[in-house]
Amino acid sequence: MRSRGRLVTAGGYLLRWAVDVFGVLLAMSLGVFALVLLARGDAAAMLAATRAGRPATPEQIEAVRVELGLDDPAAVRYLRWLADVCTGDFGLSLRTNTPVGPEVADRLGVTLGLVAGSTVVALVIGVSVGVAGAVLRRGLLRGTLRLAALLITSVPAFWLSYLLVLVLALRLRVVPTSGMAGFSTWVMPMAVLGLPVAGVLSRVVAVTLREALDRPYVRAAQARGSGPLSIVLRDGLPNAAGPILSVAGFGIGSLLVGAVVVEQIFGWPGIGAYFVHAAGARDVPALQAGTLVMGGGFILANRCADVLQGLIDPRSRRDRIPPGKSPSGRGRPLRERVGGFTARSRRGTT
Amino acid sequence: MTGRRGGRAWTRTALVATPLILFAVVGVLAPVIAPADPTVGDLTAGLLPPSPEHPLGTDQLGRDQLSRMLYGARISLTVTAAVLAIALTAGTAIGALAGYLGGWVDRFVSRVIDVVVSLPGMLVALAVIGVRGPGVENLVLALSLWSWAPYARIARARVAGMRSSPHLDALRLLGAGRGRIIGKHLLPPALAPCLVYASTDVGMIVLSVATLSFLGLGVAPPHAEWGQMLIEGRPFLDSAWWLAYPPGVAITAVVFAANLLGERLAAGEERPSILRLVRPRWSLPARAPRPAHAAATTKEPVAPTPPEAARDSSEHDAVLRVRDLSVSYPDGGGRRRVVAGMSYEVRRGRILALVGESGSGKTTAALAPFGLLDPNAAVTGSAVLGTGAGARQLVDLSPGERRRINGHRVGVVFQDSASVLNPLRTIGAHVDEAVRNTGRGGHRAVTRRVTEELLRLAGLPDPAKVAREFPHQLSGGMRQRAQIAIALAGEPELLVADEPTSALDVTVQAQLLVLLARLRDELGMAMVVVSHDLAVVSRLADSVAVVYGGRIVESGPLATVITDPDHPYTRGLLDAVPRPGAAPGTRFRTMPGRAGAGPDETEGCGFASRCPLVATACVSEPPALEAPVPGAPPRVDAHRSACLRHPSRPAEAGERSTGPC
Repeated sequence: MRSRGRLVTAGGYLLRWAVDVFGVLLAMSLGVFALVLLARGDAAAMLAATRAGRPATPEQIEAVRVELGLDDPAAVRYLRWLADVCTGDFGLSLRTNTPVGPEVADRLGVTLGLVAGSTVVALVIGVSVGVAGAVLRRGLLRGTLRLAALLITSVPAFWLSYLLVLVLALRLRVVPTSGMAGFSTWVMPMAVLGLPVAGVLSRVVAVTLREALDRPYVRAAQARGSGPLSIVLRDGLPNAAGPILSVAGFGIGSLLVGAVVVEQIFGWPGIGAYFVHAAGARDVPALQAGTLVMGGGFILANRCADVLQGLIDPRSRRDRIPPGKSPSGRGRPLRERVGGFTARSRRGTT
Repeated sequence: MTGRRGGRAWTRTALVATPLILFAVVGVLAPVIAPADPTVGDLTAGLLPPSPEHPLGTDQLGRDQLSRMLYGARISLTVTAAVLAIALTAGTAIGALAGYLGGWVDRFVSRVIDVVVSLPGMLVALAVIGVRGPGVENLVLALSLWSWAPYARIARARVAGMRSSPHLDALRLLGAGRGRIIGKHLLPPALAPCLVYASTDVGMIVLSVATLSFLGLGVAPPHAEWGQMLIEGRPFLDSAWWLAYPPGVAITAVVFAANLLGERLAAGEERPSILRLVRPRWSLPARAPRPAHAAATTKEPVAPTPPEAARDSSEHDAVLRVRDLSVSYPDGGGRRRVVAGMSYEVRRGRILALVGESGSGKTTAALAPFGLLDPNAAVTGSAVLGTGAGARQLVDLSPGERRRINGHRVGVVFQDSASVLNPLRTIGAHVDEAVRNTGRGGHRAVTRRVTEELLRLAGLPDPAKVAREFPHQLSGGMRQRAQIAIALAGEPELLVADEPTSALDVTVQAQLLVLLARLRDELGMAMVVVSHDLAVVSRLADSVAVVYGGRIVESGPLATVITDPDHPYTRGLLDAVPRPGAAPGTRFRTMPGRAGAGPDETEGCGFASRCPLVATACVSEPPALEAPVPGAPPRVDAHRSACLRHPSRPAEAGERSTGPC
């Protein structure tokens, strides 16, 4: 009886969540489409010039304009574009005159691999340092961990890369400076991408776990003879999971965006590098595709963290948090406790 | 004192913000203080190391690196200031307006804010600059497009919270216009948290600008922001450290300062001292209590050792023998005792009740032997569990040794069943864990069978169903029974119950008392029950210890203490119990004054200030706990009272009439 009752609640929760995510993605697609309206310069002229290999004639431009349907009303163009996007057709790159979709699909694997590796770095280091920060009683060590976490999140990713290249690749020669072949080439990109997120995460874990460990049920667990490991794993972390999951979701999502810088620096052929090239050349379709894929991933990572929280805590499902309110509702008190620290992951800056 | 602390904290906050202030000053003054034009180079003087002429050396084009740094700060500052101004103004205005208007406007704006906040800002900025091209204006546009949303969210929440307050209704009645209400009464309080957020946002914007410039999407050369300086100098970074470090250090310093400042302001660290002291620090594992010298530093001399402490009454089977137990907490520079020199004991199959008002130290005294207090607590004295070969000294046990006592030989039932059960775990998970801790578990199904048996023993109908439920799905009485089941998992010799029936309604209370009495009789368990409720105590306990101000003021067998109380405090407590037999209209007496201070805050008897029998001798030194009748055997479990006057002494029976009765 109970399992069915719970399943229904969890199912309804999942459904509401899915509707919410769909809404946000749709809203984002509208914004991404609007990039065209913000664009400076005429896309038709650019594409025609790319095809012709030189500045295009008015006739050529007009031909491209008709081909792309640029003279239709914006709403019609949006719907047509959205339908195309749903089938994986992002249009032709203004820079190379090749379809954007397959190019993005090719590069997605590289980026996802990088993000996956960095996620492991961020979670393992962030959670373990955070647990240490919550459990340690020595004020000095705790303070050091806190400052170190703040510092690592304050270093710009590109400068951190340089420092690592200077020390690890050029002085110590333990890893190559760039490229992606073998584990040694993964070390620096994963570190640059993962460490700042680990820093944010460790702060959140330290603060929220500390709070959870101050709760009466922890004393009760001690009274029944439970050990410290069991208390941290069963009573501490699950009860601190809400804020931790939120920030982890933000963090993992921001890894996707951070990949833009890291791929550029270490010469990885992922979406991030593609995106930077597109931004340099005002290649609107490529920019749209990159924004949609990375932004969609970012949003999904965030919202998955929310849905996980709902599944862990039966009360939060019951409380019927309105869709879209959950991250803010939980994020705000947390922000008040760890300060502006989560802002960084929200912004996805690395 | 607070002022001084607050002042010091503000000094530190200002110190933390120094890099930010420096950043602003340098950015503004760059044209004045820069030694050279950052765009004019001398190709013959490229890549020079730092020298008096070029304090930070020159770059590959022979431009003065220091001047480039200063002008880089200027670009960064321009963009940051513009973005911040736009985001703060627009965000606060939009949020405040939505919060004030409410209705569909509010719902729509909230939805938009939600979407914008959940977008990855850097990506949006990249895309916008991608389609618009680099330049200061486009940087500002790209960053402002989404930076306003958090401010709007904060302001909206603040204003929406205040909109319906009576204060605003009053203003409207007084005829204040909308603009006046928003501008004068809603915006200022909404702005404060926005400014706190802005302190961190500065760092984030600086970082975003640097990252965009680094990707070649900043301002057009020959001007350069810090991030751009790094990418331009990239080929030479290995050989020319003065190109590699200053820009990175500058960005890091500004962002770090902003993060630190934001964390300080948001956590309210400028007024931290009180919070830090009050807030208990929990640690895993609970540390062994501080050594005995802590108690010696307290100002009061140790209470006179009762003669019975020396010759222990080991002939009878005392399950717990506590002698001269003191508990102190850090207070300012020194330590403050909350329990002073308590001795009590409880035998097999017996129930000892610790009775007293809230704050008297009864719970602390009951939990102290088992290391269940805040880690700051220092426990001294002696507490021996069991007799003969199984006897263990509980004070100063290591956490590992404690785990072999707690849950195995001692079960604890806490007061607030709503918060002592982990809300995320089922009742069964709690009991399973307790069963496994005692080593009686086995395979999952075996453990669960034991669990269900325990729940049944605790009087829960349908244990299989209860085991699958979460704490919030149970009533208070059922949760208390679940706690009892957990406590029974190890078949303990001793059960410690802290206010087991408080906050429950009377019928549930009665059922729980029957259950506890049954456990005592059927399992021969010893119990220490902490309660403020004499009615509960009189139905359950075999012996009673009355606690006042961190000391036991009277103890003895239940019947004696209830029918023939000696201490004026005990008499007062008994008088305050409404009696069903009393004639209608009889007013039951209440004790004058409020509960006393801790044991170290008065020189003499802690009850002296409220006592109707107070004499001069009472205020000079604390009275010893002794038999009210001279010549009675000085045993811990005999009737004893800590009163100089012993009003129950037959010789002074005349004085009884002047007592509070």
